[in-house]
Amino acid sequence: MQPLILKGSKSTPSIHFDPASHVLRLQGQSYPENASKFYAPVFAWLREYLAQPEGTRVCVDVELAYFNSSSSKILMNFFEILEKTAANGTSVEVFWRYREDDETSLECGEEFKEDAPGLSFHLVPLTEE
Amino acid sequence: MRIDLHDLYSRTRNLGIMFCFSGSVSQSVIEGIAETLRLRLEFEERDLTVNQKVFSILVEQMQNIVNYSADRLSQEERVEGELRAGILVVGQDNNEFFVLCGNTISKEDVEPTRGRLDALRGLDREQLKTLYRERRKAASSESRKGAGLGFIDMARKASRPLEYDFTPVDATHEFFSILATI
Repeated sequence: MQPLILKGSKSTPSIHFDPASHVLRLQGQSYPENASKFYAPVFAWLREYLAQPEGTRVCVDVELAYFNSSSSKILMNFFEILEKTAANGTSVEVFWRYREDDETSLECGEEFKEDAPGLSFHLVPLTEE
Repeated sequence: MRIDLHDLYSRTRNLGIMFCFSGSVSQSVIEGIAETLRLRLEFEERDLTVNQKVFSILVEQMQNIVNYSADRLSQEERVEGELRAGILVVGQDNNEFFVLCGNTISKEDVEPTRGRLDALRGLDREQLKTLYRERRKAASSESRKGAGLGFIDMARKASRPLEYDFTPVDATHEFFSILATI
């Protein structure tokens, strides 16, 4: 299976989903004009990737400086799909990276963590250089 | 007709307006204004959390123009990249930021919009949080471009309840304006 690599833009995150290392990375900002349309190929890739039960460990790395409400819904769907995978025996670890001084991002991470209890969800502060 | 541009500019300054945009909104207009606003806010030396809230409310409001304004060049439903018009103002009053957004909507959308906003105005912070998370968890309805979370998200990020107003335009349209204070 090929990795999914999308270059980021002002309103779309960079996406680097690597089936070899089992690291799924989302970074940047997310407020596309049409979130469902933008994320459709991402979900298609994810479903195909998760369909092969490998009993392995999947690492999800999310570092979003901003996402709009439509993207929030998409992220919830994303975590729900991963929860099903986790329930089937694959270890799924999520790393939610937020800027230390950004309370909103921390709060969003805490809410996703509570709303996706089936995932091993870590809130990781990014310290400023 | 001649427009005294200096007068208009001075008046916006006197009203505390940092940004003002009126006309057709596209995704690239939203990105440009949002990114410029972010740079501008960094000079205000407020904490990042406040800046993020202003940024977020601006994006939600401008995307509402793109998704829901009745003032559009294309009459076909849901054409990607179509242009819809509205007006947006971002400013500072005393120690608060305000984001004001307006656009024309169909008369039939007035009461549902009023109902949704009034319902949110009656909720406290915890209730808004609960509602937001319930809606987000609920199955997504594919008939809408937005996730239906926009107003709740704005209400959560604003420091006071969202204020709104409707002004009749013609037999079938009203002008909808919404104010968020941060």
